[in-house]
Amino acid sequence: MTDSTAPDPADTRAAAQDTALAIAANPPRRALGLHRELTKVWANDRGWWGQVTAVNHTTLGLRFMGTALVFFLIGGVLSMLIRAQLATHDGAFLDTELYNQIFTMHGSIMMFLFAIPMLEGLAIYLLPKLLGTRDMAFPRLTALGYWCYLFGGLIMLTALLFGVAPRDGWFMYTPLSSAAHSPGINADVWLLGVTFVEISALAAATEITVTILRQRAPGMKLTEMPLFAWYILGTSVMMLVGFPPLILASVLLEVERAFDWPFFDVARGGDPLLWQHLFWLFGHPEVYIIFLPAAGVLSTLIPVLCRTQILGYGAIVASILALVFLSFGLWVHHMFTVGIPHMALAFFSAASLAVAVPTVVQVFAWIGTMWQGRPELKLPMYYILGFFLTFVMGGLTGVMLAVVPFNWQAHDTAFVTAHLHYVLIGGFVFPMLAAAAWWMPQITGRERVRGLGEAAFWVILIGFHGTFFIMHLTGLLGMPRRIDVYTENPEWVWLNLTSSIFGFVMTIGFGLFVLDMALQAFLGQRVRRDPWRAPTLDWAMPLPAPAYTFASIPAPRHLGLDARAALLPLARGEGLLPGAPRGRREFLVTSLAGARPDHVAILPGNTALPLALSATIGGFVLLMLAGLYPLTLLPLLGVAVLVWVWGRGMVRPVADAPIAVAPGWDLPEQGLRRRTLGWSGSVCLLVANGTLFASLVFGVGFLAVVAPGWPGPEAQAGRAALPGVLLAALMPALGALAVRRAEAAQRQGRDGWRATRLATGLGVLVNALALGALAWLAAGHMDDPTGHARDALRGVLAGYVALHVVIAAGLAGFALDQFRRGEITPRHAGVLPTWRLWQDYAAVTAPIAAVLAAGMGMGG
Amino acid sequence: MLSLAGPGIWAAGFTLVYALHGTGCARGWPEAAAMGPVTLHAAALWAGWLVTLATGALLLRLLPAVGAGAGLRRDLPRAGAWIGLGATLFTLLPVAVASSC
Amino acid sequence: MPAAGVKRFAARATGALTLPPVLAGCDAPLSTLAPAGPVAREIAWLWWAMLGGAAVLTLLVLVLLAMAFGPPRKVAARRWTHGLGLGLSLPVLAVTLAAGLWVGERILPRDDGALEIEVHAVQWSWAFTAPGPDGPVTTRDRLILPAGAPVDLIITSGDVIHSFWVPKLGGKMDAIPGRANRLRLQADAPGTLAGQCAEFCGLGHAVMRFEVEVVDPADWENALRAAADDGDAADD
Repeated sequence: MTDSTAPDPADTRAAAQDTALAIAANPPRRALGLHRELTKVWANDRGWWGQVTAVNHTTLGLRFMGTALVFFLIGGVLSMLIRAQLATHDGAFLDTELYNQIFTMHGSIMMFLFAIPMLEGLAIYLLPKLLGTRDMAFPRLTALGYWCYLFGGLIMLTALLFGVAPRDGWFMYTPLSSAAHSPGINADVWLLGVTFVEISALAAATEITVTILRQRAPGMKLTEMPLFAWYILGTSVMMLVGFPPLILASVLLEVERAFDWPFFDVARGGDPLLWQHLFWLFGHPEVYIIFLPAAGVLSTLIPVLCRTQILGYGAIVASILALVFLSFGLWVHHMFTVGIPHMALAFFSAASLAVAVPTVVQVFAWIGTMWQGRPELKLPMYYILGFFLTFVMGGLTGVMLAVVPFNWQAHDTAFVTAHLHYVLIGGFVFPMLAAAAWWMPQITGRERVRGLGEAAFWVILIGFHGTFFIMHLTGLLGMPRRIDVYTENPEWVWLNLTSSIFGFVMTIGFGLFVLDMALQAFLGQRVRRDPWRAPTLDWAMPLPAPAYTFASIPAPRHLGLDARAALLPLARGEGLLPGAPRGRREFLVTSLAGARPDHVAILPGNTALPLALSATIGGFVLLMLAGLYPLTLLPLLGVAVLVWVWGRGMVRPVADAPIAVAPGWDLPEQGLRRRTLGWSGSVCLLVANGTLFASLVFGVGFLAVVAPGWPGPEAQAGRAALPGVLLAALMPALGALAVRRAEAAQRQGRDGWRATRLATGLGVLVNALALGALAWLAAGHMDDPTGHARDALRGVLAGYVALHVVIAAGLAGFALDQFRRGEITPRHAGVLPTWRLWQDYAAVTAPIAAVLAAGMGMGG
Repeated sequence: MLSLAGPGIWAAGFTLVYALHGTGCARGWPEAAAMGPVTLHAAALWAGWLVTLATGALLLRLLPAVGAGAGLRRDLPRAGAWIGLGATLFTLLPVAVASSC
Repeated sequence: MPAAGVKRFAARATGALTLPPVLAGCDAPLSTLAPAGPVAREIAWLWWAMLGGAAVLTLLVLVLLAMAFGPPRKVAARRWTHGLGLGLSLPVLAVTLAAGLWVGERILPRDDGALEIEVHAVQWSWAFTAPGPDGPVTTRDRLILPAGAPVDLIITSGDVIHSFWVPKLGGKMDAIPGRANRLRLQADAPGTLAGQCAEFCGLGHAVMRFEVEVVDPADWENALRAAADDGDAADD
């Protein structure tokens, strides 16, 4: 194990031996020759077109982070406008409408266009380097995520420039954000723009999870991998589970705004509190999604800067586990004042307090690590100390806010504003600044200019605390959030003026930081390799990092070495799978826990397909914004076609010959394995999808039990609809039988060929039948969905099932096409395992949806 | 995988008790006496809490029999089980002390 | 009773702490730190106690950090992760939870026939309807309360979500369409207090204020009658 954040190198080496992963070294070759061979295969295309078609994780990780930095600066400018407005009590600077747009955009940009993409970028940039692989699992998905993020962000920014930006606060509480109270496209910009950006979050979460679980260098066991990977694994799993509730909420609210289906309208059986539940079910885990990667940076940097090992590796992993779960049990603490019974508040109060425990464990593990070693006061350490000071205070005010009665007073005041900035700037921005100081030499290959970074640190630190410390008091003196004037409260003037002045100081500090980065990139001296004397693999490469990352994949014996000792053998091809002799992008896929080599994956090369797909989705978003709903079918059709093309891009020519990755180690290509990376990716997407469905089930239950106005008016569509419901509910299960039959026959080879095709054709047919049944229901056998929330929810459930039978039918059709092309053989299952996953999912959710839809009318 | 069991039990129990509480409040269980002074609502909540605790404790007892391996592979499921049990005890404690609706 | 003693002490400490000039603003009209009723007083007490605890803990972490700078030391991992990590946090959090629940239970509304006043929020004003001697009296942006008696406010909304908040009397409660939320408050003595909307509710959010006029219980009915005669009352 290469990592100071791992338990103990002696242990690890012993463990590596007892798994019998003794892989012999490949003969050394000239490093320069390997470099040329690999660069030809892995490098981006030339020129600006090369930037369009790039799928490489280093390029895209940096681009994610660079774009996020730009959005951070834009968000920062907006915050300066807010502070300028609040500097005096009559705020003659902005009018209220514009002010509302600005604070809404400040929050939305910082959350969705800065923090999340920044951590995604860091993970995408770093993970392959840290885990000893060559790229992320799904490079085209990385690119798709980037374009979706960029286009979504640009839509929101454009709206701001034209004065039609969202203005209902970054948590968009309905009914303020409903069509009645927020006419115009402002709210739609938020709902559609943010959902567009969230595609990139789900894409990143999927590939991060798969990369960590299945691409670690051989011998890097799950229980011994660098702590950063544990943190990012926790983050990505939380993203898979945390984002779907928000996506569902956004879709429901957009459907309510666009088509008048009442999910949140009390007059027709909806409930505005459903929005709050779904929003915070995402919103609170979001805070930990942001904090975990930052903590991962700290766990990586602190031991190296103290020249020691991390203290309590196991305790930290357990803390991450606890945080991942507990953070989903505290969303209601944002809703303490909505009139929920005291016992329910108390559950969430207790959970909000309990979540502090794992955080405290980590903080003390870090301080203990510093005691154990000799801390060196280099620039990243400045920011780490800034983190401790700021985050500890933010955590403690968080504990205060978890206490129900105090929350009743402090909620929605400047106290909360102060708290959240302590947590997010302390817990995310400071560690990210430390990370920037740490990895900039790797990104630029240059050293920084002395002194400027330290100056930036002090200005940021003083500016930050000067702005936000007294804001706690401002809040306790009664100043609510989101007001633009306070003519009747002269006592808040000096507090706000102080905050504003220091706010500008902080801005100057960030300006210095950006200047420092620019100087380093353009004027810095060439840096020597491994400048921090780090033990992690990310430094075991030339600087700046090459496109292919590793000339050969690290073998178990390289994992016990320091970065500089592993560097040369890897560059000379002594590890596994050296070079690119077949002229394709290849890396190793390993087993989930023990990281034993399993097969060789072949990646697609540079392509503009991700751009085309995200532009098509962007077209859908713009047509929705323009209110041209019938026209949106066009881009949806385009999406279906492009997804098909995308899938074709994952198919490799049938090849049976094994690949020698090291002397005596032959591995099959991905086509011979049923559980490919693509299959794992589908599992991740289905986990997210399942959470979305669970959120929908929660929504149905919540409205049926809690909302006023239930049961609704007598339903018109009664038993007459039953045949359609039954057909739609049960056909997917028949599809599940068909896919099993197809798989069994496929394994029998030639004899079973006819049966395989027949079963696959049947798969297409039953899914199409289910879709037909749903269309029949929609065409007159359902109540008008605009009448009552019950009927609107039935419509959504039908739509959900329809989407999934379409996907299942598409996969079955894809399999038929693969038979035609001879890509499915007794040894090559092709798309069959993936079809089976989605078909099973549809088979399970369709009957549940049917039961819910039927049961909603009866309860209450 | 086994390490997820402990926190998973907490998550299930927490959801169950919260759902029981919400449903009970909405449907007026506090007024429905189940046995003597104990309302149906209180009984359901206590049952939910105790069942979750018992499941967590059972997991902790069974783990040594199931979990093999050494180092973190053995310790993480144990830590997970303790996290689940501790979280259940702490976060559902209000069942015993807070007013229900 | 020790708890009461602690509270008296905390109240006195509160008073003492509000005196220094830098905190002169504490006595401001919307200050949570200058309570004018038992609910706000309980919460202020909780705040000062938590502030003290937080200050001690921050100091502890900073001292431990400062001590880390120096030669390497032999340290026991479990002492940090389990001893400090769990051993320190769990008791502190348990005490915090207990204090929070205790205060929370004490300030909840209960069925004791307290006076009920309806609060109806719309963009961007407040209507208060009290059961006057000659039928209900509705006042706009002006709440008239009797001193020294618990009052339950039944809070509703006519359009979007608002939040009713009189910081000197106690915590806030949201006004949500389709729901009637109950908030119990009690004012100590006659005087004029200020209230405001605390949940962002659109263009007029910042100016959605109201006045709370606390009168001697004996004068309360007269005050309502006067308000009705003034034409101050809403016409519904």
